[in-house]
Amino acid sequence: MAVEYRVPRNFPTTVVGSYPKLPPAQEALRRARRGEISEDEFSRLAREAIKGVVSDYLEAGVDIISDGEQSREDMVVYFAERLKGYAPGEWVRIFDNVYFRKPIIAGRIEWVRPMILDDWLYASSISQGRPVKVIITGPYTMLEWSFDLHYGDRREAIIDLARVIRREIEEFLKRGAEYVQVDEPALSTRPWREEVELAREALEIVFKGVNAKRIVHICFGRIEKIIPYILDFPVDQFDLEFKNSNFRLLPYLKEYGYDKELGYGVIDVHSLQVESVEEIKEAIDRLMKLDLIGPEKVYVDPDCGLKRLPREVAKAKLRNMVEAARIARKEWAGEE
Amino acid sequence: MVGLLWSMVLGGYPRSRLARYTMRDLDSGRLSAFDGASRIALATAHVVGAQVSAGMRYVVDGMLDWHDLFRPFVESWRNVYLDGLIRYFDNNFFYRIPVFRGEPEPQRLVLPGRVRGLAPLAEPAGVKAVLPGPVTLARLGRNESGLEDEELVARIARALAEEVRGAAEAGAGIIQVDEPFLADMDATAEDAELASEALEVLRKAAGGKPLVLAVYFDVPRLEVFKKLTGMDVDYLSLDVGDAPSRAVELVKSGCRVSGLAVGVIDARRLYDDDLESVASLVDKVVGACRPDEVVLTTTTWLDLIPYRFSLRKTALLGRYAEVISERLGLEYVSPITSRPKEYIQG
Repeated sequence: MAVEYRVPRNFPTTVVGSYPKLPPAQEALRRARRGEISEDEFSRLAREAIKGVVSDYLEAGVDIISDGEQSREDMVVYFAERLKGYAPGEWVRIFDNVYFRKPIIAGRIEWVRPMILDDWLYASSISQGRPVKVIITGPYTMLEWSFDLHYGDRREAIIDLARVIRREIEEFLKRGAEYVQVDEPALSTRPWREEVELAREALEIVFKGVNAKRIVHICFGRIEKIIPYILDFPVDQFDLEFKNSNFRLLPYLKEYGYDKELGYGVIDVHSLQVESVEEIKEAIDRLMKLDLIGPEKVYVDPDCGLKRLPREVAKAKLRNMVEAARIARKEWAGEE
Repeated sequence: MVGLLWSMVLGGYPRSRLARYTMRDLDSGRLSAFDGASRIALATAHVVGAQVSAGMRYVVDGMLDWHDLFRPFVESWRNVYLDGLIRYFDNNFFYRIPVFRGEPEPQRLVLPGRVRGLAPLAEPAGVKAVLPGPVTLARLGRNESGLEDEELVARIARALAEEVRGAAEAGAGIIQVDEPFLADMDATAEDAELASEALEVLRKAAGGKPLVLAVYFDVPRLEVFKKLTGMDVDYLSLDVGDAPSRAVELVKSGCRVSGLAVGVIDARRLYDDDLESVASLVDKVVGACRPDEVVLTTTTWLDLIPYRFSLRKTALLGRYAEVISERLGLEYVSPITSRPKEYIQG
């Protein structure tokens, strides 16, 4: 019999997606890069890693979890490698001497087969009833972080990307996914109205008729500049980074009368320092004192994926986050 | 009166495999500093060769061992430390935030040695030295110095002036100050004013060597642009390829510069730039500004695209410069021109 889990009505806790790569995932990706691994073996190692990630989430007490993106070398490359129309990229530097193989759009982009379904299904099967978010890179970010040598027209490319992402999401809707998160970190890097409008058009395709919770994650950029343009996006929740930018977004939310659900980033994913329970609780209080949205609309989570942190640090951060949310739940909503 | 046209790439190159592996092995201690420097010199020679053979009047060393525009400078200054990573404008590239804890005090100079090392490789082209602009460095850094922001910019300018002086004395043919922040949507006329004051300090240190002010990643806002065109620099470099129609509109609003570097070869995309579009854009921009000299350049540094595409873009830049000079009736200046009497060495 399936285990049931009741997500708290107020201040549910969640994650943005990625988790530090556990050793089996590191091995799988290393061997895949060298072409030394079969699909079955890759899948076996990925599952082993996902099992570890889910176990960490459960121990920490996170309500809505992810598969930790253990199979994904990178949030763009992973999908590009599985879509028709993309060619393998060449090395482009991200920082210091760290690179990613920025993929190249070399033909019309088409969906071929499910890309992240197996990992989600596996995570769901061991989540002890906790919902597992479907997390997929959005069309705007896919385009921005690829080179285009085919379309020559950004709108045309982004619409095709939106269609294939939508197609992928359908696989999850058929299987009862409750939370669908589209990651659009690139959106805050070009905060002009026309860019946001382009993203909106794409997201309308992605989310049309979706009867799961529709979430868009944006981080690390000039989010405050796009807030006025995104308020009427067809989504239920924006998941935003706050902690890293010292909560400077909060007054903007107030100014623009933000009233959607909010994924509230209270954990700095670039810092090894583990936020204390009190510190996180204060961050929640800070939002609540704005009197902007009720606790039922606040999803407490980290700023972004935890992949760059050591596993023990990531886990400790989540543990404190869950505890802070529990205290806030009691204090702000009287919920045990 | 428009007379001359020549070309140069704007800034750094991506790391070739040789450079990537060398940096990796240096970081891990598998390679000695001496061996690392030799290999980087070899990788540098490749990108210099690409520029010279494409007819660039001045060449850069590719800055292959710089992790970002600021790093080599701030690492050689006292009272500045490096913090976490943050996105570099709208790129999927991150730099380490320089944190100013006091007045930056140079402990050693970055540019003079590089210029001296590059000069023999660059022959017959001249050497371009590139450094970050004080306003961009201050705005993208964090000020914990206790100084007012304006004062910090002035102190950074003073530190960078030593680099400029050293580069000029070492034989740089031209010195470029990169102020991409001035094209940012948050840049104001006050920022441009500050940049102008800082440039004065740098100009004095340049000892008569020509100075380029490079503004890129977007087209500056009108209030900033008006200040830019009034600045005392030999060349103003604009990224016109990123948003061509806005760029044309901007220069039509009034543009007075003696030398104009037109960033037309798109350094952030892989497409071959179309000759006709580039020529038409140059024609429009030059027609609006009527500078004495036109420089064709890349929209930004080439380090945001893969290595082989950076070489391709370099080749296109050289080829288009020659064709466009003929079409516009401008004298083409290149160290490898086949017309000896027009030959001008950098």
